[in-house]
Formats: sequence, C-alpha cells, structure tokens
Amino acid sequence: MSNPGTRAGERQLGRRVGSAFVFVILLIGAIFTLFPIYMGLLNSLKTEGNMLSNILSFPSRLEFGNYADAFEKTDFMRSLGNTLTVAAVGLAGIILFASMAGYKMSRTPGRVSGFLFGLFVLSMLIPFHSIMITLVKIAKELTVQGSTIGLGLMYIGLGVPMAIFLYHGFVKSIPRDLDEAAVVDGCGEIRLFFVVIFPLLLPVTATIAILNLLWMWNDFLFPLLMLTDSDSYTLLLSTNMLFGEYNNDWSAILASLVMAMLPVIVLYIVLQKYILNGIADGAIKG
Amino acid sequence: MQWTKKRKQTITLLAFVFPALLFYAVFMLAPAFGGIGYSLTDWNGLNPTYHWVGFANYTEALTDDPYFIKSIWFTLRFVAFMVVLQNALALLLAVFVESRGRSKVWFRTIFFMPNMISMIIGGFMWLFIFTKVLSYIAEHSGFGFLDQSWIGDPDFSFYAIIIVSLWGGVGFLMVIYIAAIQGVPQPLKEAAAIDGANTFQTFRNITLPMIYPALTIGIFLTLNSSFKAFDAVYALTGGGPGRATQVIALNIFEEAFSFNSRYGYASAKAMILFLIVFLITIVQLRFMKNREVEA
Repeated sequence: MSNPGTRAGERQLGRRVGSAFVFVILLIGAIFTLFPIYMGLLNSLKTEGNMLSNILSFPSRLEFGNYADAFEKTDFMRSLGNTLTVAAVGLAGIILFASMAGYKMSRTPGRVSGFLFGLFVLSMLIPFHSIMITLVKIAKELTVQGSTIGLGLMYIGLGVPMAIFLYHGFVKSIPRDLDEAAVVDGCGEIRLFFVVIFPLLLPVTATIAILNLLWMWNDFLFPLLMLTDSDSYTLLLSTNMLFGEYNNDWSAILASLVMAMLPVIVLYIVLQKYILNGIADGAIKG
Repeated sequence: MQWTKKRKQTITLLAFVFPALLFYAVFMLAPAFGGIGYSLTDWNGLNPTYHWVGFANYTEALTDDPYFIKSIWFTLRFVAFMVVLQNALALLLAVFVESRGRSKVWFRTIFFMPNMISMIIGGFMWLFIFTKVLSYIAEHSGFGFLDQSWIGDPDFSFYAIIIVSLWGGVGFLMVIYIAAIQGVPQPLKEAAAIDGANTFQTFRNITLPMIYPALTIGIFLTLNSSFKAFDAVYALTGGGPGRATQVIALNIFEEAFSFNSRYGYASAKAMILFLIVFLITIVQLRFMKNREVEA
C-alpha cells in the first residue's frame, strides 16, 4: 500500500483510463455531429423506395437522379449566381468602405472621430429583427427590394460596423512612421491608403472576408424578406421553396441540401486553418 | 495655421468615413430609429395613412397578446437551456480536445463543421433525422424510446430545437474556449501539478479562473444568438404545432409579414425584443466583468 512503485503505476493506469474515457466522449460527439450530414448524403443517393426500406444502409446502387432533379427544380446555376452576386457586392463594399473608415478613424484623434466610431459600434447590439420591418419599407422606397445587387448594397450597411471595429483595432498595430514617411515622400492621402496601408491590412481583411462571406452565404431571413421574385432567389431560398413544394420527396430535398452546403464544406476543408483562426480572432475582438 | 491643419484633418476624416457612413445610416440607423417611431403608430401594410397611438402597441403586446407573451416565455426557457448547455458542452469539448495529441485537429475540424452550414439547411437535415431516421431505428432495433413525435408534440419539439441549436452552435464556442485555454501560461499549470493538484483541481483552480474573460464572451454570444433564434425553429417546426414553439423573432415575423401586416404593432414587439436583449446582456456583462481576475 505504501509502495511508491504501485502508486505511480496506479496513477499511470488512472491516466490511461481517463484518456480512453475522453476519447470515447469525443468520438460520440463526433458521430453525433456528423450523423445528420452523413445521413443526408447517404440518402440523397438512393431512390425514394430504397431509402424508406433501408434508411441506414449504404445505397445498393448510387442514384444520381435526385441530384439532376434537385438541380433543375432549384434552378441551381441561377440560384448560385444570385448568391454569388449578393456576396460579391456586399463583400467588396464592406471591405473597401470599412477599411477606409476604420483606418482614418483609428489615425485621427479627437471628438469627431470618437463620436463616429461610437456611432458605428452602437449598432452591434441591435438585433436584425428590430430593424427588418422598417428596412423593408426603406428598401421599397429606394427600389433596392427584389434585386440581388440591391440586397448586396444593403448588406454593406449592415456589415460595416463589425468590419470597422476590426480594422480600427488592427490599424493601431501599424506604425505611424509609415504614414509620415509616405507623406514626406509626397504621397497623397488616397495613394497612401491604397498603396501603402491597404496591403498591410491583409490579415484582418482575410478574417473579415471569411466572416462576412459565411454570414451572407448562410443568411436566410434577410433574403427571404427582400428577394420576392423566384428569379432572384439565392440558394437557400430555392432550397426552402423546394422543401415547401415537395415536402415529402425527401430524396430530392436531401440532394438539394447537399448541393447547397457543398460549396461551404469544400471551402472549409481547404481553408480551415484560416477560418478557425479568423473566427477566434473575430469573436474575441468583436 | 494650426486651426487650418486640424480642419483639413477633419475633412479628410469625413471623406474616408463617408461611404461607410452613408450605407450604415440608410440601411441601419434609419430603420432602427424609424422602427422606434413606427412602433408608436397604427401603421399597417394595407392603409397608406397612419396615426400616432402612443404606447398602445406596447400595452397590447404585453397584456393582450397571449401568443406574444407565450413566445417570450418560450424564448426565455430556450435561452436558459442554451446558455447552460451550450457553454458547458463547449467548455467540456474544448478541454477534452486540447488534451488530445494528434487527433486534436480532427476533432476540432469536425465539431466546428456545423457552423459552416446554414441553420436552415441543418434544420431540414435534422427534420429528416427526427421524422424518418429515428422512427426507422426505433422500429428495427431496441431503442423504442427514439420513436417519439419529435416535431408534432411541443414537449418533444422543444428538445428537438435545443438539440439542433446545440449541434449548430457548440463548435463555435469551443473554438473560442480552445483559444482561451491555449492562452493559459504553461508554468502555472506545471506549478499546480508539482504541488500535487490533479487534472480536475488544475482545471477548477487554474484554467477556469484564467479563461473567465472568454466565458464572459461565450455567454454573451449565446445570449445574443439565442434571443434572436429564428432559422432552426423556422426549418424544424415553423413555430408549430399551432404556435406552440414560436420564438419571439418568429412571432414578430408572422405579425408583420404573414398574418395581418400590422407593421406598427410588429415594430413595437421588435423594440421589446431589443430591450430584452439589451438589458439582459448589459446586466450579464456588468456582473461577469466585475468577477474577472487579473492574470
């Protein structure tokens, strides 16, 4: 009992049992996480009859008909094009305008600058649901409702506060001497920003691009309110419509779900290091 | 000279800020302040004119609208479950994942994956699990308890919504907690181990106090997102059966855009949602900031 060797042995055994326990818990968590994705993928490759008789098994024959079906019913290429248009317009505007504003506010001391920054930060607490009703009215009056470009423009307004916040913080890490040296060399304000400063903002620009791209790609309610015509539907709206119209045709629905999430999953697997770091940075500073 | 330089500086500032400010003012500030104004009117989608009604909309929402009041209670219950479960699970996974060697990256990648997927897509996939897969498993195995009316019975659909929301949200907080745990100085943990602390004691007395700021953020983010929950509920139950699983956001959405286009009234509800989120998160931040320790 008092033998130190046994005690050390016991402790090591305890550690190993603990480690195995941790591994089992993590494994259960991982299975739970992947289960719906796996089931969706699996059953999207079966015919309806095959699916209902054996929902858990691997398809006896890979059936791509559901994909052809979903591709057509969701008008996939057009929906994808619409999603990309919205995201491109929104992203370009958010990055360009927020970097300019964030940089200049960070560099300018004084009350005006502080007030403007406070004004932007203020809105980060306002839930989208609290502005959506009036926003629909404004969108109608400005005739930006119903168009993908219009929706992209509106995303700029909603997206700049967080981006400005991140740029504002990041600019502080860039030495001021750089600005001054450039001005001494006869560089104008605009050239200074675009040629000298903007390239240095790349790390935070990447974070902002990822966060905003994900947000716009996966956002549902805002497009639902603004894009009323099925010609301008985004991927999510087309999928939602398909679900509403064929809500018992699970194999076609699952195929459309897989197609809608595939682009982000591929993006995630390729860029996961940047995405995970970006998320952690964005959340902690935001 | 000094004055003109300052003036020039201000003008440059405004020029750089102007484009962002323009979009922000038109699409964010204007609807926010407009919403406050409209919440005091009887504006609706059918009638072009509207009248000032004071706080009548607020009184009606809080005293005379059983569905709205029910949606507030439902949301509060949902938020309470989410704050506790989501943060506890995320913290547990973060600690466990951090303790692994080579498999760390794999687990982190998998647990975060649902965050990449829209909760609309995730919600539909889970709907398939709840309505088709679980009943199949129950029928063909011993797990008879899985065969429940997960979507049709409000007692179960509450938990279905919780499960899907956790599935979608835990990985995000886990990434934040992992970053925080990695920031805990190694010598502190080693010192504790030398003093004879076991793994649990080290976690309880060293790691947990050190990552308290991350906990503040995690709970803040959970409060913020759970009060605004919409997508998962929309995809899973649509607020049903009846309006039994309606969250506040869905109630506002239906009031404004589905049933009767009472925009003014719905705006008042939207302001109530804003006030609830605002007050609770301010209290939470105050309370937790005061308890943070210095490293």
